[in-house]
Amino acid sequence: MNILEAHNITKLFPGVVALDSVDVSFEAGEIHCVIGENGAGKSTLIKCLTGVYEPESGEIMINGQDARKNKSLFNKIAYVPQEIDLFGQMSVAENLFLPYQKSGLKGLVNQRKLEEKAISFLERFHIPVQPDELVKNISFSAQQLLQIARATVHEDYEVLMLDEPTTSLTTEDTQILFDIVRGIKEEGKAVIFISHKLEEIFALGDVITVFRNGKKVAYSKIKDIDVGWVIAQMTGRKVEQNQTFWSEKVMDEVLLEVRNLTGERFTDISFDLKKGEILGLSGLVGAGRSELMQAVFGYLPIYSGTVKLEGQNWKLGDTSYSVKNGLVYLPEERKKQGILPVLSTRENISVSALEKLQAPIGISSHKEVELAQEIVDIYDIKTPDMEKEIQFLSGGNQQKVIIGRSMCCDPKVLVFDEPTKGIDVGTKAEIYRLMKELAEQKGIGIILISSEMDEIKKCSNRIIALYEGEKAGEYDARADKETILSAIIGVKS
Amino acid sequence: MNKQKVKSNNAVISALKKSNMTAMGVVLILMIVIASVLSPYFLDIYNLQALIRDLAFIGMIGIGQSLLLLIGELDLSVGKIASLCGILAGMMMVTYGLNPYLSLVAALLLGLVFGAINGVIITKLRLNSMVATIGMQGVYGGINLVLTKGKAITGIPSSIYIFGKGNLGPLPFPFVFTIIVLICVLFLVKKTKTGRYIYAIGNSREAAKILGIKVDRIRIMIYAIVGFISSLAGILYVARLGSSQSAIGESWPMNSIASSVIGGVSLTGGIGNPAGALIGAAVISIIQNMIVLFGVNVYWQSAVSGIVVVLAISFSSISDIVRERKQRKIKVN
Repeated sequence: MNILEAHNITKLFPGVVALDSVDVSFEAGEIHCVIGENGAGKSTLIKCLTGVYEPESGEIMINGQDARKNKSLFNKIAYVPQEIDLFGQMSVAENLFLPYQKSGLKGLVNQRKLEEKAISFLERFHIPVQPDELVKNISFSAQQLLQIARATVHEDYEVLMLDEPTTSLTTEDTQILFDIVRGIKEEGKAVIFISHKLEEIFALGDVITVFRNGKKVAYSKIKDIDVGWVIAQMTGRKVEQNQTFWSEKVMDEVLLEVRNLTGERFTDISFDLKKGEILGLSGLVGAGRSELMQAVFGYLPIYSGTVKLEGQNWKLGDTSYSVKNGLVYLPEERKKQGILPVLSTRENISVSALEKLQAPIGISSHKEVELAQEIVDIYDIKTPDMEKEIQFLSGGNQQKVIIGRSMCCDPKVLVFDEPTKGIDVGTKAEIYRLMKELAEQKGIGIILISSEMDEIKKCSNRIIALYEGEKAGEYDARADKETILSAIIGVKS
Repeated sequence: MNKQKVKSNNAVISALKKSNMTAMGVVLILMIVIASVLSPYFLDIYNLQALIRDLAFIGMIGIGQSLLLLIGELDLSVGKIASLCGILAGMMMVTYGLNPYLSLVAALLLGLVFGAINGVIITKLRLNSMVATIGMQGVYGGINLVLTKGKAITGIPSSIYIFGKGNLGPLPFPFVFTIIVLICVLFLVKKTKTGRYIYAIGNSREAAKILGIKVDRIRIMIYAIVGFISSLAGILYVARLGSSQSAIGESWPMNSIASSVIGGVSLTGGIGNPAGALIGAAVISIIQNMIVLFGVNVYWQSAVSGIVVVLAISFSSISDIVRERKQRKIKVN
């Protein structure tokens, strides 16, 4: 039976057709994956189905009733947003049941009862925390699971909608999540699962709907299709699956030497990086990969150890020194640490190149526009207007702006921290190609931090596995996936 | 056609982004027209000069304050730095008989130092700027009282009166200084590396640090500049009154923040133009002037001017809301 149906939904925004007569239906006891590139219309669809947006035309039926006439029907849909959206300063139990009328708690709040009630949810979702702990003190994984638990507190829900739920989960927790989701399916609820990770879709899903440019382009049972089919439907073209992007021109010269480095989240790490090499740093969330490279970059403190660049002793703890001397870090938290959101694309680029733009009096706006245009052209940044605030560009284009402006600093070493997080399949390949080109043509040493095993395998010449802040192994790019995987989850070979 | 529509939408947004200032400019002109229609004395040269002389002080401090707002911070000790520097200048001239001009320069440099002290405390101890400067204004105000025991310093050499009471052509001298300050600050903000970094820091302090910007150094520098501007306003006021008083600058912290915000400088950092602060200062001064001209009951003056300031601030906040609405629509795509 179809719990949730949408007929002929069209949603317009100024200048754009976000959804173009979309028909989609979700069945009870089924895990329905929704996939599409950024801007394909997935989030608009979600917002229409949860009642946030009012579509221009079409109808939404929940249990056979028109939800646009009876808004309370939207309560049947439990939605878990992509970003963590919890109250950090409140306890786990409070976060689970807020707002209280939703969870059927009436009258005065009884803290003890609340915590008792929370325990069953925590057990069911395997969240290893106490109900009275503050949410800001529990791990990212636990927060993510808690967020899902919270959505199911409302007993009336019949559809569970998960938007990229695994982005900050470890492999282990992802498995736990999958088991829970399967359990929910067994109860006869409909599950909508939105993800960029194809592996997960094949591991978990029953059926799949693919979106492209605001249209529903394909629907199928998962067991009838393969990865190539999904990518072809998403991008509208065939993408070579087994292409590799590692550098073919690794030089013998050692660029960066890290020796016995110890900091807050990592101990005694040593490695070398050669000119023109792409070095992958693999590990679970929390293994200390970002912390290690942020410390080398000077953003985080270091307790002991040394770093040399081209044989010269490297000054630690000063990001300004690092950038000036050719070590540039491209952060994972693009929105918070990467872009300058309300400044234009032009200003976001030129901020790294101001020294080159000096005219006799102040900064030359003529040179500035020229430089920004050059970067936009070289890195194929798609923006209608360079004066547009960068926050309106897609994640992929923001990432290209960050790469482009980093090149203005004449870097010798580039650290890419999760460069394709939240970026769609087509643009991912573009980013990989860019890294390869930079390594091969300019001899830049690249360190790639990534949680995606496929990405690391495709792009790196060498792979270092970290486990709980320690180096668990170093592998050739051709090493098999299982060996590396067992290293990052702490299995000694 | 679709594309064109998107483009015109962007134009609307970028216009709105700058609009807080331009819109307030329009409001300002309207206020001038209304004031001159309603009161025959408004356009009187003496009234205008008095008005502009008042405006100059709020505007000058406002321009400095807007620099801090651009990096998402503020300084509530501006008034106390101003009066302390005025007192110190007065003491140097009167008590110690130093050369008046030398005393003024020394007081300006001391203002720079006081500002820098604020900056160092806030950056190195990682304090919230508002709380820290509430504390520091107590310190500067306290020193002030210790030095003067609450009495005004009179007998300031009349050779410096021109800076406060005099005119350059038709323009009051303090206003000339305000314009000079504005030009320097605008050059700093729009044309130098540091200026771009100020906006970067206001957008995201973390991103700025990752870009290799010396964030703390720039923050200290701005506090020092604000201290310098406060000191300048303080000694000009001493020259205007002909005496140094600890009551100088009582209303400046609030008025400077209000004028920046009215002029479209965002409290959260990264958005706005210091020139807006001058427009905001003009709005506030005209309100105060009109209240006097219309003979509003003395007891009501403060309430009326407060209401009008809140209205003016809401005006820019409403255009923020409109702007966000437009953004949200575009972001979805």
